[in-house]
Amino acid sequence: MKKIIKGGEVGRVLEAVNIGFTYGKRKIFEKISMSVGNGRIVAVVGPSGVGKSTLLRVLGGFLRPDEGKVLLMGKEVTRPTPKIMLIHQSIVTFPWMTALENVMLGLKYRKLPKELCKAIARQMLEMVGLEGFEDFYPKELSGGMRQRIAIARALAADPLVLLMDEPFAHLDELTAEALRRELYKILFNVNSTLKGVILVSHNLSEVVELSDVVYVLNGRPATIVAKVEIEMERPRNPRDQKFYYYIDVLNDTLLYKGEV
Amino acid sequence: MGLIPIMILAALASTARVFTVIGLSILTGWGFGYISIKSKVFENVYVALNEVFESVPVIAFFPVVLILFVNRIGGFVGVELASDFLVFTAVVWNIWIGIYQAFKTVPIPMIEEIENLRYGFLDKLRYLYIPFSMPRIAANLIPSFSDAFFYIMVSEVFTIGSTSYSTFGIGSLIVKLVRLGMWNYVSYALLILGIIIGGSVYLLREFSTYAIARYSLESDIPVPRTRQIQRYVAKFYSPIIKPTKRIRYYFASKRAPTRGRRGKEGYDYYSERETGQRILKVLGSAVALLILGIIIYSSFSLLTSITYAEWRYIFSNTLEIVYALAYDYARVAVIAVLSFLVALFVSYSIVNHRRIEALLISIIQILAAYPAPAYFPILFAVTYGIVYRFSGALTTEFFVILLGFLSTFYYIFYNIWVGIKAIPKEIWELMDNLGMGYFQRIRYVILPGTLPYTITGLTSTVNSAWGGLMIAEYWPNIVDGKSLEVSHGLMKLLDLWTYQGNLMLASWASFIFSLFVIVFSVVFTRNMMNLSKEKYVIEEGIYAT
Repeated sequence: MKKIIKGGEVGRVLEAVNIGFTYGKRKIFEKISMSVGNGRIVAVVGPSGVGKSTLLRVLGGFLRPDEGKVLLMGKEVTRPTPKIMLIHQSIVTFPWMTALENVMLGLKYRKLPKELCKAIARQMLEMVGLEGFEDFYPKELSGGMRQRIAIARALAADPLVLLMDEPFAHLDELTAEALRRELYKILFNVNSTLKGVILVSHNLSEVVELSDVVYVLNGRPATIVAKVEIEMERPRNPRDQKFYYYIDVLNDTLLYKGEV
Repeated sequence: MGLIPIMILAALASTARVFTVIGLSILTGWGFGYISIKSKVFENVYVALNEVFESVPVIAFFPVVLILFVNRIGGFVGVELASDFLVFTAVVWNIWIGIYQAFKTVPIPMIEEIENLRYGFLDKLRYLYIPFSMPRIAANLIPSFSDAFFYIMVSEVFTIGSTSYSTFGIGSLIVKLVRLGMWNYVSYALLILGIIIGGSVYLLREFSTYAIARYSLESDIPVPRTRQIQRYVAKFYSPIIKPTKRIRYYFASKRAPTRGRRGKEGYDYYSERETGQRILKVLGSAVALLILGIIIYSSFSLLTSITYAEWRYIFSNTLEIVYALAYDYARVAVIAVLSFLVALFVSYSIVNHRRIEALLISIIQILAAYPAPAYFPILFAVTYGIVYRFSGALTTEFFVILLGFLSTFYYIFYNIWVGIKAIPKEIWELMDNLGMGYFQRIRYVILPGTLPYTITGLTSTVNSAWGGLMIAEYWPNIVDGKSLEVSHGLMKLLDLWTYQGNLMLASWASFIFSLFVIVFSVVFTRNMMNLSKEKYVIEEGIYAT
């Protein structure tokens, strides 16, 4: 089993320094250090219930770590900020707002003129492939389309980092695959201020397809048991030998928990 | 016997009255609920009547109850029944409709299981329907208890003409003590009542927690019509609007093979059960038609018994009634807006502070159950001077609105609080994430997201505000020779006419009032409810397979 354990990258956007978190009396994870570099997608994998989603919320400032700290562009994150946008596993859209209004919600904190907000929201919807659906209500759209709205709303907030908590978990496989293929293009396009993405998933194919670096979380309390760099050209072909190789590496890492 | 033991006995008597009435509502609710799910005819009549009576405030029954029980039955029994019936009308509709909705939403697999095991009527009730209705009953218990205590204060003592009627209870005792100016004993009575109410609320909360923990479903079993129980009034009236549709439906159903006939043709082992079902259906239909018949006959007899001169007399007073009603609607609007604003901002402020929330909710639950008419004279005596200095000529209006608010605020409060609690955590995270400010959150998320709850709460608040107004608009000699009396108000007229023994005019005013309330309910409340359920269900904002 090949495990590539390297130091931090140059140009870190978001960085966790030795963080730990306790819920009630139970220590969920400890001594976690990780970072996301410019233009990179970082994945966190691990078995169910290990604390992946909790880690994501600590990184986003929704939960305070008991130990260590989270830094965004070198400054400590102490509360949620639109500069780090979270995309939920359960897709969140507001049923009383149209697709356009849902996206405009992401712009409220910027206090821009209404017309400019509309223009930006339209642009974001276009970017996620929902041109022509501006006036549709979420219930008139499919799950995949709703997730695109959530992504467009997050991007409209001009974030530096996107935290994605199993973003395809509630989509059927065909829709999820289509969205995965487009995701890199959507996220790192010229109109986006986005610098990095942290993706939580337990779908290893998804992780290999999308990410540049994978942190494997395991044990109780959870720690990072491995860091795997995916060195493949994009777009990635799931039938590629190398693709299978990385899946095997991740599988092995997950099975041999705690033995780094 | 000393006065303190009498007070304890009186408080216990009132509490027993409340619990008996609630118990009776639950028992009858189970029976009617079961017949409803078996007989379509009964269901239509039952639910339609429930909706109508639920939207008519309990005080509209006052003159009718007085005529029926006090005049016709009379004596101690008549007065006791009048008091119990008034309390019954205050609590029963919520409980009945809650049980009916529970019965209608029993998951299909559970029904199939119990049918599969060929359970009889009583076993079905015992092992499936009654346990399944427990969480809803539990949810309704504290509001029903509060309602009952509010009306027990009004109904334990009342005056018609020169005669005053009263039953033994804490309500009638406090009224007597206030009249005699025995303020020390009034405060003891309030203390005893407070202890009993606090204890009862504690027990009810414990029971609710137990019932919800034990009987709530926690599964992904498909539940039929969980979100919205169809509003049956519209359905009930639809054949009147489109009779041909009803006739077509009837003949189509005659042609289509029904489950009962299929059983007769092929599955003999079903026949015994099918006979029972048919009997229940027929029985249900017969009861429904009987109820309708009684209502139509009573209305007809009443209308024909009124002489021409009497008709002229009541018509000549109609304009005054409508005018007074307009005044009262304005008061109700102020109470509703005030209650809404307080409920919204208080519940939004406490919902993310667990300890403050737990404490405040307990206090509000006890305060809500503590009948406002019992402590209002003291509040009035203490604050009158200050209020008069600031409000001047509006002092009476201030106290009327205050009593209305105290007697009805908690309905909308509970609803909005539950609505805010129901907002999924993902949405709270999103609001934090987007850096939304206080008013942005309220405007874009909290207000629209709690709309279905707000409409429900607002409806109950409006319905109950009338009770508060009925007491506050005409309260002679409330304390120290001071009285509360508004210049215009339908509730004052109802009070006055009942007090003067003019039950004919009081009944006519109640009838007009009921008509307005029903039209308001059909035109405004129902449309708002439909809109909110169509577009503003915040749980639908979460898409998860």
